[in-house]
Amino acid sequence: MIYLDNAATSLRKPPQVYGAVQEALARCANPGRGGHAAAARAEETVYRTRSLAADYFGLEPEQVCFTANATEGLNIALGSLVRPGDRVVLSGLEHNAVTRTLIGLGAELFPVSAPIFDKEKWAEAFAEALKPGTAACVCLHASNVFGAVLPVERIGEICAERMIPFVVDASQSAGLLPVLPKQWRAAYTAMPGHKGLLGPQGTGLLLCLDQPLPLRFGGTGSSSLDQQMPQDLPDRLEAGTLNVPGISGLGASLRWLRQQDGTSMLRKERKLLETAVRRLRSMGVRIWDGPNQIGVLSFRLPKLDVETAAALYAKAGVALRAGLHCAPFAHRTAGTLPEGTLRMSLSVLTEQKEIEGFLTATKGLLK
Amino acid sequence: MYDFYITLRSVTMGQKGRDALNRAGLSCRLLRAPREIAPEGCAYALSLRRRDGDRARTILDQSGVRAAGCFLRRQDGSYVRLEP
Repeated sequence: MIYLDNAATSLRKPPQVYGAVQEALARCANPGRGGHAAAARAEETVYRTRSLAADYFGLEPEQVCFTANATEGLNIALGSLVRPGDRVVLSGLEHNAVTRTLIGLGAELFPVSAPIFDKEKWAEAFAEALKPGTAACVCLHASNVFGAVLPVERIGEICAERMIPFVVDASQSAGLLPVLPKQWRAAYTAMPGHKGLLGPQGTGLLLCLDQPLPLRFGGTGSSSLDQQMPQDLPDRLEAGTLNVPGISGLGASLRWLRQQDGTSMLRKERKLLETAVRRLRSMGVRIWDGPNQIGVLSFRLPKLDVETAAALYAKAGVALRAGLHCAPFAHRTAGTLPEGTLRMSLSVLTEQKEIEGFLTATKGLLK
Repeated sequence: MYDFYITLRSVTMGQKGRDALNRAGLSCRLLRAPREIAPEGCAYALSLRRRDGDRARTILDQSGVRAAGCFLRRQDGSYVRLEP
């Protein structure tokens, strides 16, 4: 199979990840719940991953909280900042993980619009929208539909100047682009462990520079007599048994990522994207591309609706995604409603031959 | 003899503290805190040599590891709380 659905989840992982999951399944008990060897092993496994992540993102270990996915992290972040009726400014490219959460919290949403690949215009639009009294600002680092990279550092600066808490959704960028919560002055940065970080599904990270409210309540293996959730991170957010096998796998993928040259990975992905863009364009395929784009490409084939096209790709052995990609706001901003787009998305482990296979399949579909 | 105990509110803080002390060349053990020094239930403690206690407290402070309490274990097995 040619797998080009990495924006949903990375399927191919560094080989060490599989072993790390298996090892933890076989040998780790519940971290923080006992003094015996199997519990201690679990604690060390969890802490090693936490420390690696802290190092990777320039934070302290306790600022790294494990979640089940980016959605859970965003729920915690937004639930900590937003009350019913609050004004929240967000990019018009946000995922349902943000928009549904905000609507569920009763917030008043102010989506910001700009030409998709124009960083300057995005920054200007945010500067205009971030008025006093805004309860929070949410922005993705890179779009899951179009791959556009947004100027989060600049938006973070504006938020800091105006004392507005800033939340970043780094779901598509973590593992590929530098994710720098301190530099961005982001109160919270959420990400999955299973996309660009190449870890197992069921893992996610919430990086906290602020003091969040818990989403889950329960046992933490600490201060057990106290019936309030602990004030200290990470325990405050990590009630219940952690996904130790997943966290162990995430630790292995983080170790692998740290050994890679980030610039080369980015250059390689960019080259593969450019190949796809150039050849698709020469075939008359409608594509959405631009500068500041990671390896996520929306496109449409002439005379084929996107769902039919995705089914035909699947039949040809190419895995990609069709539709709205859980981001109707992004399609409204881009004018691609109601059909949405086909989306091919790369990972740092995608190979040139997979792009060639995808392009051959596309040629076949266009006949 | 590891008779100096520093209690911490979470295992993460204990691990961070242990690593900071080890990096500074201080030997210590991370363990579940004995009940006598963790009245709030379920806590962790770093145990180390008495002579390293003051230096350890300084290192933990500099590393952002907040201690919940410091204790000395007497020869009879009882604990005495030390002032911060």
